[in-house]
Amino acid sequence: MLLAAFTTAGPREVPPDATLLSLLLQKDVSAFEQLYDRHARLVYGLVLRILQQASTSEEVVQDVFLQLWRNADQYDASRGPFVPWLCTMARNRALDHLRLKSERQRRREDLPEELPTIVVAPEYEKALDEKRRAERVRALMASLTPQQKKAIELAYFEGLSHSEIAATLKEPLGTVKSWIRNGLLRLKEGLQATT
Amino acid sequence: MKNCDQFRELIEAYALGALDPQDRAALEAHLATGCPECAKAVEEARWLVTQLAYTAPEAAPSDMLKGRLMQTVRAEAQSLGKPRVMPSKSAIPFWLWAGVAALLVFSIYSAWNTRRLNNEIRDANNRAASLRDEREKAEQELILAKREAMILMDPSSVKIALKSGDAQGPQLEAKWHSEWGVVVMGENIPMPSPHHVLQLWFIPKEAGKMPMPSMMIRPDANGKFVLLVSDPPESMDATKALAISEEPEGGSPWPTNPPRYSGGVS
Repeated sequence: MLLAAFTTAGPREVPPDATLLSLLLQKDVSAFEQLYDRHARLVYGLVLRILQQASTSEEVVQDVFLQLWRNADQYDASRGPFVPWLCTMARNRALDHLRLKSERQRRREDLPEELPTIVVAPEYEKALDEKRRAERVRALMASLTPQQKKAIELAYFEGLSHSEIAATLKEPLGTVKSWIRNGLLRLKEGLQATT
Repeated sequence: MKNCDQFRELIEAYALGALDPQDRAALEAHLATGCPECAKAVEEARWLVTQLAYTAPEAAPSDMLKGRLMQTVRAEAQSLGKPRVMPSKSAIPFWLWAGVAALLVFSIYSAWNTRRLNNEIRDANNRAASLRDEREKAEQELILAKREAMILMDPSSVKIALKSGDAQGPQLEAKWHSEWGVVVMGENIPMPSPHHVLQLWFIPKEAGKMPMPSMMIRPDANGKFVLLVSDPPESMDATKALAISEEPEGGSPWPTNPPRYSGGVS
């Protein structure tokens, strides 16, 4: 009887991304809307961090989600999780946009504009849920040295190369390479240690 | 192996997109050789780099962005014949289609049957109304016939002979009952001229007063007629004579021709 008093309905079942993506292949508008509601904040936050301008960022996010709607078949769920794929597409688009407005355009003009490569999650990563992963990544980034963190951020959010980062920070090229590599390896070790 | 170690140092930066063109070209050339260790390391590094997206502070895009997106997506879905709330054809079982079809057929039959019954009821009502009209007409005719008979047979009725101006012409007769009216009868009456009728007049006793127009007379093919004037325009006491003249078709408010028949009221 006492247990009965504590018996409540379980949490509302939320369809996983993979289910929504399979519906998206059938042009299910509702599935698209759910995916947007679920990931728009992350994608927009990433694009806004890169472009630093709300209106342009919304244009890019709109392009990203329309690309998802129109070309959902280009994502292969069996080869990796959806969110990294979506974020990589958003980052590429945002950096492309950034390059169009900067003198750095020539640096990457030989790179083809294409959908992101599917990234395969290592086993140790599959155990983390979305929220915990975000918290863990932020904590690990905060634990890096300021130089490591700055160099990685310049590469990831501004699309700068080793040489450009070295010039920006007025540091030797080898030092910048070490900061980036060591910072990323520390991040990797931290994520491995989480599981 | 030494070669691999050299490239391993580039792999994280490669995944990050931070390699300078020369280093990138060298690493890609090595990867093209099919080195499995480096290929695996690149995959892991790519995964690692994707995690950096979480370091950007989350932010909410405007509602307008979602509105624009959903508008575009819905429009494209509709153009593909995939409206959002419409169930797919396969979601509707055959028995449901069969049921809908049966209901449709039944509805059409019911509508047709109802219409047929309504038409029959309307025809029956029309026939009943027609019979009612005929009966009322017959009853009215019977009433008039009875009234004519009463006037003709009642001894208090006053007999009025309407003589023709032509001595050889037919003689008409009228009987006037003070309460029930006047009956005028005739036989072998010549038909009026084309577009003319015979009209009865009540000629008042009062000097200078115009003849009072009354009903029109329509003899049958044999020149016979019986006319009942149930509500004479003048009383018997005030009437000097009755007259019949030929008037234009439709009658006239005053005489336009001399009387063909006339007779004094005694």
